[in-house]
Amino acid sequence: MSDEGDSEFKIVFTGPMGAGKTTAIAAISEIDPVSTEVDNTDRMSHAKLSTTVGFDFGRITLADGHLVRLYGTPGQPRFRFMWEILGRGAAGVIILLDAAQPGALVQMDLFIDAFLPLVPPGALVVGVGRTEADGALSSDAFASRLDARGIMVPVLSIDARKPADVLVLVQTLACILDAHLSSKVLA
Amino acid sequence: MSASKPGRVSRELARKLLETLGEIVGVRSVVLFTADGFEIASHAADAAASARLAAIGSSLSALGTAISAEAGLKDFDRSTIESSDGTVVIMHVGSGKDMSVAVVAGKEAVLGQLLWATKRCCQALQKVMV
Repeated sequence: MSDEGDSEFKIVFTGPMGAGKTTAIAAISEIDPVSTEVDNTDRMSHAKLSTTVGFDFGRITLADGHLVRLYGTPGQPRFRFMWEILGRGAAGVIILLDAAQPGALVQMDLFIDAFLPLVPPGALVVGVGRTEADGALSSDAFASRLDARGIMVPVLSIDARKPADVLVLVQTLACILDAHLSSKVLA
Repeated sequence: MSASKPGRVSRELARKLLETLGEIVGVRSVVLFTADGFEIASHAADAAASARLAAIGSSLSALGTAISAEAGLKDFDRSTIESSDGTVVIMHVGSGKDMSVAVVAGKEAVLGQLLWATKRCCQALQKVMV
């Protein structure tokens, strides 16, 4: 699935601040996750108390035996250098979004544009949280935006706090990666 | 993350204290930044460069804390990045870890002097924090 071989691969969780990247990795990691959270001094941008400035790291073994290394990026564009570092060698990317955050569609565009060039074609899944919140966009709005841009990636409505939801994202990405591998073998 | 209230410092006062590091042989630029990567004050760095240095410095500082904890080492204080062309020192201001200083120096700098001067600057910054 990646240049590290078929049994182990790396995926990256990314998305804007407060979308649930640290929470999602902690929800499914089978080891204590590595976290680089510090106090958030920019409460104007987001009310959360802490923010990731380095990366998150966790690990999970899928039912088929694949070992998946999980990396989470900082969400703010000033940490874009970390996006590029963490994106190197990634088999795929999961973009997490908060449907109730203002400008969520524009935020999705930002992360799509940043990460599409870093991963194999199509190796990307979008997870949208808080679609039930007041004033939130539906997951269809995100899918339509991607369709309009000619980008075909799965969009799933999730709760980053629920391990089952996060696992669905990882398994969906793993299926895409398996399909890539199969097409390479058959070619 | 620190549980205490983050310290504050006057930008003008901080800039004057950072200027003292500029007198050390080899020092090219200095930036004081928050733990989450915002520049507070700088010396001899243009706005774009100091903003980038603040963001990268905060990541390195957080990674230093993480690897120290992983290794069972307490109280990460500083990291030193050395290249054939110079040195970057990233040092916490005080024990609260709300702020750090990044000092960029050329190869003509003497590492011991650079670390000593950076420590003194951090101590001076800590004294003026409210």
